[in-house]
Amino acid sequence: MTEGSIKVAKDITIFTTNTCAYCVMVKKWLGAKGHSYNEVNLDEHPERQKDAFEMSGQLAVPVTVITKEDDSREIVVGYNLAKLAPAVS
Amino acid sequence: MAEEKVLDAGAHKVWDVVMIGAGPAALSAAVYTTREDITTLLFEKGVIGGLAAITDWVDNYPGFPEGVAGLELADKLRLQAERFGAVIELGEVLSIKSEGKYKVLDTTSGEIKAKAILIATGSDYKKIGVPGEQEYYARGVHYCATCDGAFYRDKRLVVVGGGNSAVQEAIFLTRFASHIDLLVRGDTFRASEVLVKELGRHKDKISVHLNHTTDAIVGNDTGMVTHVDSTHTTTGKKVKFDTDGVFIFVGLDPNTKFLQDSKVELDSIGLIKTNKELQTTMKGVYAAGDVRSGATMQIASATGEGATAALMIREHLDHMKQQLD
Repeated sequence: MTEGSIKVAKDITIFTTNTCAYCVMVKKWLGAKGHSYNEVNLDEHPERQKDAFEMSGQLAVPVTVITKEDDSREIVVGYNLAKLAPAVS
Repeated sequence: MAEEKVLDAGAHKVWDVVMIGAGPAALSAAVYTTREDITTLLFEKGVIGGLAAITDWVDNYPGFPEGVAGLELADKLRLQAERFGAVIELGEVLSIKSEGKYKVLDTTSGEIKAKAILIATGSDYKKIGVPGEQEYYARGVHYCATCDGAFYRDKRLVVVGGGNSAVQEAIFLTRFASHIDLLVRGDTFRASEVLVKELGRHKDKISVHLNHTTDAIVGNDTGMVTHVDSTHTTTGKKVKFDTDGVFIFVGLDPNTKFLQDSKVELDSIGLIKTNKELQTTMKGVYAAGDVRSGATMQIASATGEGATAALMIREHLDHMKQQLD
């Protein structure tokens, strides 16, 4: 990939729940890497569960939605550094 | 930022001890080592706090008369270790080996050297290996109630297992589910009496089925789970449990795969063998907590083993220093 074609993350949204330890880890890791993010807490907004499921295809959190500069999206389910690291870079 | 410290230190110095894992055993050990000015780095590939962090509620850890949320306990352990200077790196150790008097760890953050290693990688929940388990993973099959339970508001669930985790997580899931069928393979629970009594208070939502195997997890054309096929172990009768999701808590699988090519000897189920000083068959490498053969798989005993291992590591480091002087 050439430098000019690198897709930079312009928005990161994480779907979480109050008791999810993996959600805490995703937020901690993004924070340590200097990324800001929006959080949708599904305990506080259960009506957004449908959105999380439609985007991820899974009934699980955390779901991290990375929107790139060109509006393409990458979706990472769980605390998966092997997928998260390249997705947000 | 912790990572910057780690990468710098990894390139320029030898750590006194590197701990693999950051669950209760390692975090407790780190409190002891860092208070002795022993430079301490912890590597965690999963959740800081380990399985304790994904446990809804902990009632049997001393010092919390009303109990404590697993996530909160994990955070307090982390804060205490960091207070004295422990560094936690979010990454994975891929292998370990001896090189002269040092240990060398191949990690996702590069090669790191240490004078001693503590392995406290704990365990993960075991798979049961039935048809449908992998196919419907995270689309109806789950291993973390505190993570995924919220997706099952007013839905039916099956929980598989008869130990403490299964019973405790079934009780937790009553916050969301309309009804839970708890399938226990044996004729009694392995869970503690106090938890079984607590379970009895949730009869309106939880139906217990002793002597029932879980044979298959079955779904429909849309890829969603619809039921579990089961067999009564004494009568042989086939039973179908309609459900929207299945949570499985049937035991633990030790996180020791990265040790396959090392000199650390494992027992028949993959747990690490140690002597009474908690040293493994590889000199200068110690093990503590759920990953150790003979461990009692309790948070309280893991923290105790962590403290013991830290004291043994201090002796090992003192001995190394005397040899160099």
